[in-house]
Amino acid sequence: MNPEPFLQLDRVIHEKGRLAIMSMLAASPELSFTELRDALAMTDGNLTTHIRALQQEGYVAVAKSFQNRRPLTTCSLTAAGRKAFAEYINLLEQIVRQTKSK
Amino acid sequence: MKDEKENEDGFLEHILLAKTDFVMQRVGMETNWAEENLQTIRTLMERSAVYRHALAPIMLFAGAVGVLAAAVGLIQHWDSARAFGALWLGTAVVAIAGAFFIVRRQALKDNEPYWSPPTRRVALALLPPLTAGMVLGVVFALFPMAVAVDFTLLLPFLWALFYGCALHAAGFFMPRGVKWFGWIYIGLACGVLCFLTVVNPDLNFSGHWLMGFFFGVLHLAYGAYLYLTEKGKNAA
Repeated sequence: MNPEPFLQLDRVIHEKGRLAIMSMLAASPELSFTELRDALAMTDGNLTTHIRALQQEGYVAVAKSFQNRRPLTTCSLTAAGRKAFAEYINLLEQIVRQTKSK
Repeated sequence: MKDEKENEDGFLEHILLAKTDFVMQRVGMETNWAEENLQTIRTLMERSAVYRHALAPIMLFAGAVGVLAAAVGLIQHWDSARAFGALWLGTAVVAIAGAFFIVRRQALKDNEPYWSPPTRRVALALLPPLTAGMVLGVVFALFPMAVAVDFTLLLPFLWALFYGCALHAAGFFMPRGVKWFGWIYIGLACGVLCFLTVVNPDLNFSGHWLMGFFFGVLHLAYGAYLYLTEKGKNAA
């Protein structure tokens, strides 16, 4: 089996919490912090930590605004995030193909 | 990293994602994790794309239609099985058509595809129990058999059970609350049916009260809950 795809997997994305966040954001233009938290059943702290890690990597953009005088935090994938996520998916598909052809 | 050691409870707990392990010796042992990862990603993306914001107005609309139909049934004394069935099957058609209209409006507003794969999955999950409920409704209400059963009191429970099953099935592709809402229908239908048949079999009232409660009040309550929490939800 060719080990190359395994070694290329992005370790920032390849963590279950962050992968879940990336997957949710990949299907929506943007999601609020609380939508992500509720959908993924994460704690505030845990989600904040994961989002910060993704933000530092340049994969996720965080915007803060106000809606009805309440603070609103929204997250979205950046272009780099979309590219990294697409590459991650491609690598997973390669691994699946390799496994099946074995 | 500390965050990597933390276990998310709930939904994520059931997801078998690959461990962060790049040691090649383990590759042979974990032959299907990549497939599981892909499946998880697909599920999350579909869940994310379903019309979340349309749920509250749909519930409020269905609740209002349900309460209105119950009021009409009670005031007009449409108590025969045929009139009861016709009223509530017609109400179901109006509620479903309204739900489609609200979803379509939401899709246009958010520039999303109307008939997307996630929407199709939700519709397919809803279809079998709703079809079964509708067929039973048509058979029992419009063609009542010569047995001493008041179908106007039996149908609300059957419909509530089928509807609860439909919500539970659709809940796999929607926010988690929908699944719980399905369980509430199933639990209440079973509980009230047991109460009326075992504890208090002599109680006599119109089936419209039951329908108004199950398909009017419960929808309104869930819609109000969604609306209020949705408003507070964005604060973070």
